Amino acid sequence: MLEIAGITKQYPAPGGPLTVLDGVSLQLKRGDAIAIMGPSGAGKSTLLYIAGGLEPPTSGTITLDGIDPYRIGEKELAAFRNQKIGFLFQDHCLLPQCSVLENVLVPTLVAEGRDQYPERARELLRQVGLDQRLDHRPSELSGGEKQRVALARALIQKPLLLLCDEPTGNLDEASAAAVADLLLELHRQQQTILIVVTHSRDLAARFPSRYELRHANLHPAGA
Amino acid sequence: MRISTLLARNLAWFWRTNLAVLLGVVTATAVLAGALLVGDSVRGSLRDLVLSRLGNVDSVISGAGFFREQLAADIGAACPIIVTTGVATRESSGQRASGIQVFGVDERFWQFQNEPGEPLRGREVLLSGALARELGSSPGDSILLRVQKPSAIPLESLHGRKDNVGQTVRLTMRAVAPRDFSIRPEQGDVRAVYVPLARLQRDLAVSNQVNTILTGNLPNLAELLKQRYRVEDLGLHVRRLESPEVWSVESDSGMIGDELAKIATDTATVLESRAQPVLSYLANRMKVGDREVPYSMVTAIDGEPAPSEADGVTLNQWTARELGAKPGDALTLDYYVWQSDGRLHTANAQFRVSRIVPIEGAAADRNLAPHYPGITDTNSLHDWDPPFPLDLSVIRPVDEDYWKQYRATPKAFIPLARGRELWGTRFGSLTSIRILPPAPNYEAALHDAIDPQKFGLAVIPVRAQGLQSAHGATDFGEYFVYFSFFLMVSALLLTGLFFKLGVEQRLREIGVLRALGFRASKIRSLFLLEGAVLAAAGSVLGLGAAAAYSALILYALRTWWVDAVGTRLITLHVSIPSLAYGALAGAATALGAIAWTLRRLQSATPRALVHDAGSAPSRSGLVSALQLGSDPRASARRFRTSWRLPLAGVVTVLALALLATAWTRKLDQTPAFFGAGTLLLIAALLFVSARLRSLKLTAISSTLSLGLRSASYRPGRSVLSIALIASAVFVIVSLDAFQQQSPSPDFAGYPFLAESILPLIHNPSTPEGREALNIPKLDGVEFVPFRLKPGDDASCLNLYQPRNPRILAPPASFPHWPELQAKLPGGEVPAIADANSLEYVLHLKVGDLLEVDRVRFRIAAALQDSIFQSELLISGENFLRLYPENEGFRFFLVKARPDAVAPIEDALKDYGFEIQPVSARLASFHRVENTYLATFRALGGLGLVLGTIGLGAIVLRNVLERRKELALLRAVGYRPRDLARIVLVENLLLLLLGLVTGTACAMLAVAPAIASRGGHLPIASLITLLGAVLTVGIGASILATSAALRSPLLPALRSE
Repeated sequence: MLEIAGITKQYPAPGGPLTVLDGVSLQLKRGDAIAIMGPSGAGKSTLLYIAGGLEPPTSGTITLDGIDPYRIGEKELAAFRNQKIGFLFQDHCLLPQCSVLENVLVPTLVAEGRDQYPERARELLRQVGLDQRLDHRPSELSGGEKQRVALARALIQKPLLLLCDEPTGNLDEASAAAVADLLLELHRQQQTILIVVTHSRDLAARFPSRYELRHANLHPAGA
Repeated sequence: MRISTLLARNLAWFWRTNLAVLLGVVTATAVLAGALLVGDSVRGSLRDLVLSRLGNVDSVISGAGFFREQLAADIGAACPIIVTTGVATRESSGQRASGIQVFGVDERFWQFQNEPGEPLRGREVLLSGALARELGSSPGDSILLRVQKPSAIPLESLHGRKDNVGQTVRLTMRAVAPRDFSIRPEQGDVRAVYVPLARLQRDLAVSNQVNTILTGNLPNLAELLKQRYRVEDLGLHVRRLESPEVWSVESDSGMIGDELAKIATDTATVLESRAQPVLSYLANRMKVGDREVPYSMVTAIDGEPAPSEADGVTLNQWTARELGAKPGDALTLDYYVWQSDGRLHTANAQFRVSRIVPIEGAAADRNLAPHYPGITDTNSLHDWDPPFPLDLSVIRPVDEDYWKQYRATPKAFIPLARGRELWGTRFGSLTSIRILPPAPNYEAALHDAIDPQKFGLAVIPVRAQGLQSAHGATDFGEYFVYFSFFLMVSALLLTGLFFKLGVEQRLREIGVLRALGFRASKIRSLFLLEGAVLAAAGSVLGLGAAAAYSALILYALRTWWVDAVGTRLITLHVSIPSLAYGALAGAATALGAIAWTLRRLQSATPRALVHDAGSAPSRSGLVSALQLGSDPRASARRFRTSWRLPLAGVVTVLALALLATAWTRKLDQTPAFFGAGTLLLIAALLFVSARLRSLKLTAISSTLSLGLRSASYRPGRSVLSIALIASAVFVIVSLDAFQQQSPSPDFAGYPFLAESILPLIHNPSTPEGREALNIPKLDGVEFVPFRLKPGDDASCLNLYQPRNPRILAPPASFPHWPELQAKLPGGEVPAIADANSLEYVLHLKVGDLLEVDRVRFRIAAALQDSIFQSELLISGENFLRLYPENEGFRFFLVKARPDAVAPIEDALKDYGFEIQPVSARLASFHRVENTYLATFRALGGLGLVLGTIGLGAIVLRNVLERRKELALLRAVGYRPRDLARIVLVENLLLLLLGLVTGTACAMLAVAPAIASRGGHLPIASLITLLGAVLTVGIGASILATSAALRSPLLPALRSE
């Protein structure tokens, strides 16, 4: 269960604090998937990163599986992100020096019991259709393929929460559709909590729940 | 997938930056280990020279005088030789070499050294290669060799022969010696001549005698010597006399030293005999009333026939008759005495005739007088050939008759105490000691009681001492670590900069890793591991470069910087410990520099790392520039700027105040100007810092001014670059302040100094001394003669650690250095040394104690920039007490017109007398110091040039960070060339600001030093250095800019 309660985020500015999020609350359970839309600078990514334990809120609480990532130590927070959360960025953020398979396995380097991972990585890559490209470097892949590798990497630890920041923003229409298919399919298979931040109405339309971030708060899409 | 896999991938993928880091580590290691290898090489070369020149010699027995050649055979595996110094002249050309080593050797020497070859015959000699080159000699050339003639009788005693202390030997060069031999450690070439031992013994009149024995590694050599020596090896003789029946202990020198006399006396006591000390002296005249007797031997003795009254004198009947003397008459005794001022004085003493005795019994003992060559061995008084003036006109037939009948039988006897008072010398105060009754085993007992090492036969472990000295007075490794400091710092700076550049290129990766659950410490460890691999690899690769670096430095020391070491015999010696230390230190410091770059990694959030790449500010310099005046953070910037300008003003005022004080000479100008220069440098950097932060450098009207404005993009980084360049330039340029100025033209008003190989016994500062030395009468010529004990050069001209420094003693009349006359407790001897020699060679300071051969010197004062850098100065009184065997004067201050130098040298050429200007002597010392400075400047400059490459790394970082801005400029129509110009202008500004600020402030700092030597400035080297820095800086910037601009910029714009 992901519980976001009264999250506020302010940034200091010369003219006084700039409030980006103002009392945002949200509850999602395993298997839920939502899309968040909104204009640039509205705070969508900020909410995403707060949820992912990457950026602390100014106030409010967030718990995932009963754990508030901002109330645990640095070591536990790192393990929390490693085991509970998967990230998918607009820019795939693959390590150019590593192969496809190695990129998927990167999160496992700081995890316990690594023996099981290579097989899982291969399976994930098979599921995203890249099982023939295991030893390729990111530079040898197309944009859509890179994003699929990034998706496999995000899922390698079987995260409870999958956070996607404009996952198709850099892709052409066909690739975007393919990545979206995979994303939703894998989410369905693994029963993660999926939050996608996107400008793409096509992508958002494929989610059962859609929100818009306006005036520093979440509103059901179309409301 | 393992961490090691990721590590390997990272190292391979980012090979360009890793290579740059690796090269930085290689350079740092090479410089550090290379500097240490230079030290090892100097030490190793000195050690090699000692070992190769000693050959099979381990120890030597060195005599103060000559002793039996047979002693070598008695000791065993040993080789007798004669060792002395001299002057060699190639007869055909007149080419002369002074201060050469002379070895009298025979086939035993070559066998000892395992050198095959025919023994030298007749007058054949071998010359060392260096001496042959110096003289321009070739086989068959006639060589005149001038050496000191040994004299058992002290030259500074009445009977010493002072006029002809040298002997010239004509020899023929057979060949160049197959090897260099030298007992004393010296880094320069060996200048030596090898003369047949028998020839030299004959010419020096020391048949079957030598003064040195070479030995191999003989255990218990000292004990062996104690067993095998004979008392005659110390110049002592125990003679059995029949009438009276006694042992007579006598000395070749005519005088028995006080310590030996005590041992001889104590030995007699042990054997239940009685010792009767005797002192006989030649009186020029005895006079009673108007009657006188010339040239009479007078004996001072306790007991018969001497009187007991202190002023009493006993005359024999012949003398009493000739003088018409009777008991109670007053007697005046005239006699010569040679005093330590190098002059013969006539003294007299008053006595009262106590009694008159017949010439019989003790009064008829002609053995009371010692043997004086030229006197006691003649048949007639007219045949006397004494080394003092003799007035033959006063000799009467009756005097001749007495001589014929009684020879040197004393004509008068006085109490011993009175005789010692009148005629005692520093060489002793007894001419013989009589042992009565003559115990049969007295001579053996005396032999056993004497430690020969205390009385002229020293056992010197020359190999051990040479190897100890080879550790060197100066640790060149340490010096070159200092000299290479900038080079090392630059290399480490580059290592850190490039590593940081690499890290900054991977900030997004870091962000991803953190988002994926990597802890910051884990990521830092990963980077550190990468750094460690690079540091380790770099340090290993750096070892090869270290050997190359040290080989280059050694080449420089043998050529361009030869003045620093004074030898071309320094070769590369690679030592594992230095390499290991250099590698470890190089790796550790490089890793430290890398760790330093990673210290702030944790402060950025993963989101910032992923999205903003963590380093670029949200507002770039360009955007700030375009929005000047509307920046909401301008007030904050103004605050950050506000304190810098006032502080710059305060520091400027302080600098000006210091300048004004120095200008009015209320402060020493050199330190004051240096302080003012430093303050102005700080003020300038503060001012630049404030200006860069104020964004008011210039209005933006062109791409050039846009470039200038870009310098304010990262003001901290820009100021750091300027400060680094300015500081390095300041230090290197201001080194000029320490450049030794034109040497002083004189010392204490004496424009020349001189040294002689053979001692001058006569004092050339007196008219009679000059006459005795045949110095022509020249107006305005003055000498100050110093006594000299030869020893190790204590100046920076000697690389070996001086164990036994040269000692100089000025005359008592010299009106300087009153500290030398101090009476110190505990037998300490006050000494003065040159400040540089003290600090850098002897490693002492004023007030410290230096013990040499059981003599404790207390450093009483230090001389600044003096001509006395090679020696210790002590008082003449202490010199004569401590080193009585070092006779005459061998060092001189000379006041003379330049045209008088040649006639003086010519008159004294037989002494190996050479005059040189004081300024030349000082210049030889200055050359060493200035070469060190030049070395520092060259290596420092190289470091600065290398450091300038770091600017390229900074430019690269700046450009990469500003790719989006540059892409924007491309989008609005800028060409790549415009972008390059903007970046270059910015970099040039930093470079020029650093160079100009550093140079200007340094010029001010060294202004007094420059002014004091007539405005001379090393313009060429400065322009070369600054030009090189500018060129390399621009080159590095161009490379960095082109590398950055080659990457596609427009994608960066798209991602915006």
